[in-house]
Amino acid sequence: MNIPNNLEEISKKYRRELFEKFLEVGQGHPGSVFSMLEIIVTLYYKNFIRFDPDLKKFKDKIIISKGHAAVALYPVLRDFGVMPEKEWENWGKGKESILRVFGNTSMPGINATSGSLGHGLGIACGMAYAYKKNNIDQKVYTIISEGELYEGSTWEAFLFASHHNLTNLNIVIDENSLIILGKTDDCIKLSPIKKKLEGFDFLVHECDGHNIMQLEKAFADVTGKTKVILAKTIKGKGFSIMENKAHWHYWNKLSDSEIQICRKEVE
Amino acid sequence: MKLQRDIFLEEVYNLLKVDKSIYVLSADFGAAALDAIREEFKDNFIHCGISEQAMFDIGTGLALEGKKVVAYAMGPFISLRAIEQIKCGPAMMNLPMTILSVGIGLGYADAGPTHYATEDFACLRAIGGTNIYTASDNLIAEKIAQNSLSNGKLNYIRLDRHPTSNIEFNKENFDFNDGYRIIGEYSEQKIAIISHGRILHACLKTMNENKDLCFIVDLYNSKPISQKLANKLKNIKKILVVDEQTCSGNLTGAVQEFLAKNNIFNFIKNLSLTERYIFENGGRDHLLKLNGLDEDSILAVFKEIL
Repeated sequence: MNIPNNLEEISKKYRRELFEKFLEVGQGHPGSVFSMLEIIVTLYYKNFIRFDPDLKKFKDKIIISKGHAAVALYPVLRDFGVMPEKEWENWGKGKESILRVFGNTSMPGINATSGSLGHGLGIACGMAYAYKKNNIDQKVYTIISEGELYEGSTWEAFLFASHHNLTNLNIVIDENSLIILGKTDDCIKLSPIKKKLEGFDFLVHECDGHNIMQLEKAFADVTGKTKVILAKTIKGKGFSIMENKAHWHYWNKLSDSEIQICRKEVE
Repeated sequence: MKLQRDIFLEEVYNLLKVDKSIYVLSADFGAAALDAIREEFKDNFIHCGISEQAMFDIGTGLALEGKKVVAYAMGPFISLRAIEQIKCGPAMMNLPMTILSVGIGLGYADAGPTHYATEDFACLRAIGGTNIYTASDNLIAEKIAQNSLSNGKLNYIRLDRHPTSNIEFNKENFDFNDGYRIIGEYSEQKIAIISHGRILHACLKTMNENKDLCFIVDLYNSKPISQKLANKLKNIKKILVVDEQTCSGNLTGAVQEFLAKNNIFNFIKNLSLTERYIFENGGRDHLLKLNGLDEDSILAVFKEIL
């Protein structure tokens, strides 16, 4: 496929399309989806997740551990021809579609069913281990939320990745500093995340999770270690009504004037 | 006498010689037969740390890549501590995986109630798509190993911590795929005692002293229960179910649900542990006696329902 030059525009287009879908479906997790769009766009369009156009399959795997945000992948998978166009078109229009507000393995291009927090990193570890032990040239990317750092299983998986030095594993932490009841630092302090992760002997990059150049640079860094990218993001990015508002973790009803404001912001 | 876990893991060892897609994951739980796997098949053994939750997530990742996963740990922890990982991983994604749970019931009587697996049956039965096997003796443990490792399903396999001698039974019409075996002589006129696992041995005295009045059903595959059993039980008047589990959701519940689905409504008596957490010392058999699950208590209850 032709890779567009302006990935910022692509991100904006996906925001626009996903907003309309949330509006049609009337549910979903926009805060979480919009905070990681540039990360997704960078991974797919900068060829970090390698695509085989003949097989119409991705060589590398991505596990969206913050499972309800897997919706962000749908328009990307559609544009790569992996997800049938009609599934996207039908979704939310009262017609048959395999798409849901959470991803599952029955959908082409979705590598793991997710939703509950704290599972994705372990699953990604299992995949990366299988590739490493069998000398298979495949990489595994996983996007976890900052909130998943509260789950013990995430730290169990960090131990595993570190012990086995899974160099084919790339962990992105979508750090938007918000959980349901407020700011992470006010609820239970997670910081200093970077220092804690460096203790596992991971290579830890910090970057602006909405800056494609910074993301590309961080993903491109080749090391002999498991890589962690601490991507500073804004929950609900792109929509002033939603940005940095914890209650926009879930979809909320919008008035006509609010809908117009949202549409204008992603024109 | 060999332990059930060694019998099972020896089967895994033999399979590993020809199938390197098998991965054995342990949450720091051992066995003599596991040592042989660790030694000879280093790449196929993964120590996950004392981290049952990560073990299942990692196992799910391996299974998504087509690997055959055997997850192995002590009963109480591999079941309850990681139950959500089992649900969201292999169960929800319909992945084959074999969960080896050792020390069911009061098997770890010397370690206290945190180490008892007395609710694992109810919990894992509630997870969609699980196949549940419970070994009452070494023969059944071996048969379960031979039949489950390559069946492509999510198997929850309950093994005893202690040695279990083989139970005598008529092998003439025995077909492992039926999911149960009859011990003693079947008759529609008799009381059926249904059990599984080591506690089934405590029912033998009742049967041996009342051969004309009862027989035992060893229901080693309790989920799903074979339809064949419905025919066997439909005209039985009374059933006594004996299980080394607490009283909610145990084997009695499974049998009752199964019979009700088949429009069979027999008299059923449950004999199991209560919901009380057991803090007394004295060893497994002493605790079973204290809680009315020794062979004499089972006999007494049998006489009550005669």
